[in-house]
Amino acid sequence: MITLENVTKAYGSGESRTQVLKGTSLSLEDHDFVVILGASGSGKSTLLHVMSGLEKPDTGTICYDGKDITGFSDDQLTQFRKEHIGFIFQQYYLLPNMTVDKNVKMGADLAGNADYAEMIEAVGLKEKRYKYPNQLSGGEQQRVSIARALAKKPDVLFLDEPTGALDEETGRSALDYICRLYEKYGYTIVMVTHNQNIAEMAHRVVIMNSGRISDIRMNETVKTAYEIGW
Amino acid sequence: MDMIVGIKDAVKLVSISIICACAVLVCTMFINYGTDLSSVKALLTTEKERIFYDAQTATARVVCLITGGCLLMTSVVTLLFYIKYYIDAHKKELGILKALGYGNGRIAASFWIFGSSVFTGAAAGYFGAHLLMPAMYRLQNKDAVLPEVSVRFHPLLFVWMVVLPTMFFSVLSVFYARLRLKVSALSLLRGEGAPEKGEAKHFGKNRAKKACGEGVLEQKAAAEMIRSGKHAASAKSGFISELKRATLWGKKSLLFFIVFSAFCFSAMTQMSFSMKELSSGMMGAMIMGIGLILAVTTLFLAVTTLVRGNAKTITMMRTFGYSQRECCNALLGVYRPAVYMGFAVGTVYQYGLLRLMVDIVFRNMEGMPAYHFHVPRMLVSLVCFLVLYEVMMYVYSEKMRRISIKEIMMEAE
Repeated sequence: MITLENVTKAYGSGESRTQVLKGTSLSLEDHDFVVILGASGSGKSTLLHVMSGLEKPDTGTICYDGKDITGFSDDQLTQFRKEHIGFIFQQYYLLPNMTVDKNVKMGADLAGNADYAEMIEAVGLKEKRYKYPNQLSGGEQQRVSIARALAKKPDVLFLDEPTGALDEETGRSALDYICRLYEKYGYTIVMVTHNQNIAEMAHRVVIMNSGRISDIRMNETVKTAYEIGW
Repeated sequence: MDMIVGIKDAVKLVSISIICACAVLVCTMFINYGTDLSSVKALLTTEKERIFYDAQTATARVVCLITGGCLLMTSVVTLLFYIKYYIDAHKKELGILKALGYGNGRIAASFWIFGSSVFTGAAAGYFGAHLLMPAMYRLQNKDAVLPEVSVRFHPLLFVWMVVLPTMFFSVLSVFYARLRLKVSALSLLRGEGAPEKGEAKHFGKNRAKKACGEGVLEQKAAAEMIRSGKHAASAKSGFISELKRATLWGKKSLLFFIVFSAFCFSAMTQMSFSMKELSSGMMGAMIMGIGLILAVTTLFLAVTTLVRGNAKTITMMRTFGYSQRECCNALLGVYRPAVYMGFAVGTVYQYGLLRLMVDIVFRNMEGMPAYHFHVPRMLVSLVCFLVLYEVMMYVYSEKMRRISIKEIMMEAE
């Protein structure tokens, strides 16, 4: 269970100081599928970075199963991410000089997962295992980043605009892989997006507005990647 | 076009300016002295004067050749290295220009501006030499063996020492940039660029695999090859060791530059130490000063490029939970053996060069000191190098630790 209480975060100083998060409180259950929705500049990506331990909040607390991570040092946060967190980004951030296999291995090694080939197969890239990122399409690169994130067997998977750089077809396909693997492995998903249609795939939708949560709604029926609009 | 390659980018080449300033300073002083010295040749009457004259002209020539040659080589390598990394860092902007219809030649032409850093350095060295010359001549005349030599101004030297090097480096920049730009606009936009030899090999293998995999039988054969070959072996080793290998061989130019910087450090410092006994004290001190500046500059440039070049990989690894120590070990520590090898090669090179200078150039001259390999000097140089290299690595890795992951991700976007 992840609990955020009154979390604030600001960037810059003096006149250029911008308060991005203005006292955000949120509670997520294990195996939840949450989408954080909001316009550009609403603070949704910052919320994801703070929640995942990539950044420290200025004030407030973030607890994982009752353990407060806000007081963690950089090394402790690194260890925490190593043990619990997976990431998928809009820009993929694959290591360009390493093959698909090695990129996925980067995540797998952290969890001592020797069977990471299964993950490459699960995202449909078995045939491209020894290709380099620049030999793959955008959709394939995103699938590598999905495999890399899941190969480390995370408890919580954070996704920052995972379909932002993809066209409709590859975007739907990437989301479908994420959902199918979610059903199989049962981790918690926190996804940031500005695409309202994607929100229909989640159990819960958190709507951010000007650094605050303006609404939280539950989806009674959850749609698949191929049922939502685009 | 100037927005792509502007004067600000050339200013970043301070290291080349420093190297050129040093090279031109030394060469101008000794060529000027050698030329002025030849004017007293007709006045020599005794055998002692003639031997001393020959020794002085030979020393001036050798110092010019060794220092000038070494520094020219260093400048060329540094310039090419910088242009390569400049193009790598601006692939998208250059790709857009190419996509808009600018030809390779036209884009490359704007790289002439990098010659301006050579001009700044060379001009500073040239004028610096003229400031130092009176003191140098006074010292050379102190022995009173030869008739007094006075400083004369040789305008042609300005062309040789400032104008021609500037032109040479400007033309070199344009030609090298043109060579590096010989890739499709789409490749640049995708951030691919011209692959290095190592990368090309990988791509070659992949193409071969693809070709193999076109039929079912071939597919099986290819899979078997992969299973029994390199990939099977690598599957057993950890990601960190894979990363080390990929880092080391993936960017051969960076590896070369790092090794080259260690080579320069070793050769420059040890040559500087030896100059004191092979020539005058002033010359020894001057060469030592120049040698140390150069050694530190080259090493600094190499280490900063190394750290910056791996910033994104380190960030991604940290995001996933690899510790800072693991990242630094894999990406920075992997160069350590190569760097020490560069130092060793530099030591052997400078010993060979000075041995050659003493044995061949000065073989008929009386009173030349015998030259032997000096272990304590090598150890001093090694300790200086060790401390500098490790401190730089430490400072930069600490600096990187303080940069937030988000900051680097924003840069990457």
